[in-house]
Amino acid sequence: MATKNAEAYAAVSKTYEWGFFSDIEQDFAPKGLSEDTVRYISAKKNEPEWMLDWRLKAYARWLEMETPDWSKLNIPPIDYQDAYYYAEPKAKPKLGSLDEVDPEILRVYEKLGIPIAEQKMLAGVEERDENGEPKRRVAVDAVFDSVSVATTFRKELEAAGVIFRSISEAIREYPDLVRKWLGKVVPQHDNYFATLNSAVFSDGTFVYIPEGVRCPMELSTYFRINAENTGQFERTLIVADKGSYVSYLEGCTAPMRDENQLHAAVVELVALDDAEIKYSTVQNWYPGDENGVGGIYNFVTKRALCQGKNSKVSWTQVETGSAVTWKYPSCVLAGENSVGEFYSVAVTNNRQQADTGTKMIHLGRGSRSTIVSKGISAGRSDNTYRGLVRVAPTAEGVRNFTQCDSLLLGDQCGAHTIPYIEVRNPSAQIEHEATTSKISEDQLFYAMSRGLDQEAAVALIVNGFAREVLQQLPMEFAVEAQKLLGISLEGSVG
Amino acid sequence: MSVLELPSTRAEAWRWADLGALSAAAAMAPVVRTEHEFLDLPGARLLFVDGVLDEAASTLGAVTFGEVAGSDHALGRHARAGWSLRLDSRTAADPVQIVHVATGAENHLAAEIVLADDAVGEVVETFVGAGWANRYTRTTLGRGARLMRSVRLLQPAGFVSLREEADIGEAASLVTTFLGAGGQGSRIDAQLNLTGEGAFAEYGGALLTSDTQAQECAVRVNHAQPNGSSRQVWRAVAAYRSRASLAAAVEVARHAQKTDGEQSLRGLLLHRTATVNLKPELEIFADDVKCAHGATVGELDQRALFYMQSRGIPRSRAQAILTHAFVADVLERIGNETVRAAFEGDADAWLDAAL
Repeated sequence: MATKNAEAYAAVSKTYEWGFFSDIEQDFAPKGLSEDTVRYISAKKNEPEWMLDWRLKAYARWLEMETPDWSKLNIPPIDYQDAYYYAEPKAKPKLGSLDEVDPEILRVYEKLGIPIAEQKMLAGVEERDENGEPKRRVAVDAVFDSVSVATTFRKELEAAGVIFRSISEAIREYPDLVRKWLGKVVPQHDNYFATLNSAVFSDGTFVYIPEGVRCPMELSTYFRINAENTGQFERTLIVADKGSYVSYLEGCTAPMRDENQLHAAVVELVALDDAEIKYSTVQNWYPGDENGVGGIYNFVTKRALCQGKNSKVSWTQVETGSAVTWKYPSCVLAGENSVGEFYSVAVTNNRQQADTGTKMIHLGRGSRSTIVSKGISAGRSDNTYRGLVRVAPTAEGVRNFTQCDSLLLGDQCGAHTIPYIEVRNPSAQIEHEATTSKISEDQLFYAMSRGLDQEAAVALIVNGFAREVLQQLPMEFAVEAQKLLGISLEGSVG
Repeated sequence: MSVLELPSTRAEAWRWADLGALSAAAAMAPVVRTEHEFLDLPGARLLFVDGVLDEAASTLGAVTFGEVAGSDHALGRHARAGWSLRLDSRTAADPVQIVHVATGAENHLAAEIVLADDAVGEVVETFVGAGWANRYTRTTLGRGARLMRSVRLLQPAGFVSLREEADIGEAASLVTTFLGAGGQGSRIDAQLNLTGEGAFAEYGGALLTSDTQAQECAVRVNHAQPNGSSRQVWRAVAAYRSRASLAAAVEVARHAQKTDGEQSLRGLLLHRTATVNLKPELEIFADDVKCAHGATVGELDQRALFYMQSRGIPRSRAQAILTHAFVADVLERIGNETVRAAFEGDADAWLDAAL
């Protein structure tokens, strides 16, 4: 049956462009996880007492919890004692020019495609060249294994009143603000991986946009797991005060390794009255090779609280990497007329498994949500959309529109759709649509008759399929995501 | 049996189950036996009182009794013995009518329906009384066999749990329609396997809930062979503080190409305190299939109500007409006119009481 389709894709060995790893001197915490590890991390970060208590409480809770097994994922048991929970590039003295920066770190940034001017800042170069003003106005925070290496554009952001810090700095410099919101959206005991993260999170990003401020540039974080056997546990907290706006981008890569690495992040967003947060992710962790060896286990808890009236949170994600993805960016729509959006493209190839989707919890009157999910499965992979739309009895006049489309490339992969709809208010209007299909022979034939080769034709059709989501991404990310889709599907069927 | 032997609501497939109501029903004190009349149809009539055949009131026809191959399902495994309907190839039997009367506490009964190639059968079941009635039904359809089943749950109180397992052979057809219009809690838990090429399954119904009642269906249709088609059409109407849950899944195996799976789950909320849960699930491993699912929840269309009122129809009557139309969709599938009229009558009686 699939033979014709199969002919369409030449078997090209898949490559993972970001699969390099860098030999950089690093400080590790002792291997394994215990209360001492938690204390070690906290001490290493010079954290105040309350933070340590908070972590220890989470750790105690975590010991009593069980790994969730409801997802459609086949994960071998994870040995939490066989990983490093903290790795930090060795401290370097302040640097005067790019030449003095550890060339290995620089090379990493170059390969990641971070512009030179930003590289300087990331590498900790104090002096700034007049002409070196970066053209792309994106402030970057780079998290290398466990530690935020550098944050750019700090001064300019500060002038606008925006706080853009690594979370460990924020804990020291803005303890009240962090303490007020940390764990409010994703409570410590929320789920197994969120609790683990609460205990051992090493770094991440903190953003605060003051009242009425439109963040002057896009904020961005690059996450990179480099060291062997290291888990990365970052924690992101974004608070948008009344009437503010911020667009935040997140990118992830990791080197190729034979063993599985753990990534368990928590992202919390808070939008107050009339505030808007746009959160975009391009996730490209190492997916493992074609036999399913290696790759990142990506267990992420992302949740936004639309607390204020007319607040809005928009999640956009392009998921192409990771051996296992377990991720449900959600919106708690508590404010009146608040808006939640979720746009997702998830691509799985070879032996990858993805169980991803969203939750829209409608609590406020007149809250609205839109879910557009595009799943593309190829190779021997499994791709699951799992979503929940819940309408509370108090939420009058709620509207939701959900669309989940799946595309199957080849006959060895699976596409699954598991939407939950729980409605407790009769005035709600909930719509759900889903389709599953393969690439039509007609489309392929047409594209090829116009001179495209098979790979290009497939990439074109897939990009068209994912168009509604890609349109939501900021420019630079959209270009990157389109390329990623193509690369991820190379040699997908043969 | 203790309710502790059942999975908890922490298990994904039991998330919406009302196990509290089930254990309460199992502990119900004995009640006076209610009488229920059979429909005016030819064929066998079976009256079960607490899972035991009342021979004086029954005519067996082709039905026999004995052990039924057990199920390891949490509900199904409690029913071991029961009735059996076996039809030889190329025979068409008169309908088999079964009335289950419960008089408190729990009762378990198994059933087996085996149709040989090209046989045609019809079964109509009715549940009345109070208590926990647990049924396990195993259906096997040979090549080209056709079975039409209609099941209505009319217990004013208690709980009815149905575990259904079916193997549908090549070009065979199974059409099952449920109506939950009683005051009992319920769980319709089914696994249908389309084991032959070109098999057809239609499985659906209407769950009408009121007061604090909870009714649910949890159905999985597995397409194991190519060219099969399945339709799952469910309607839920929830009033007052009740909860209706519809979970329907379609699984398409790797080589079950050209499968056509359709799911239509729709919920109607009559009051603000009521809940409708929907889960239209797809699990697809083949790449040349057509699987569509639609799910909607809402209240009656205000414009339609306004239009009907502007034509002189009182609001309550207009509501009744629209709700009736909403439910009628699924009941229309019942082929036997007498049975369909009876089911529609039960649905209307429920609507009159609820609106």
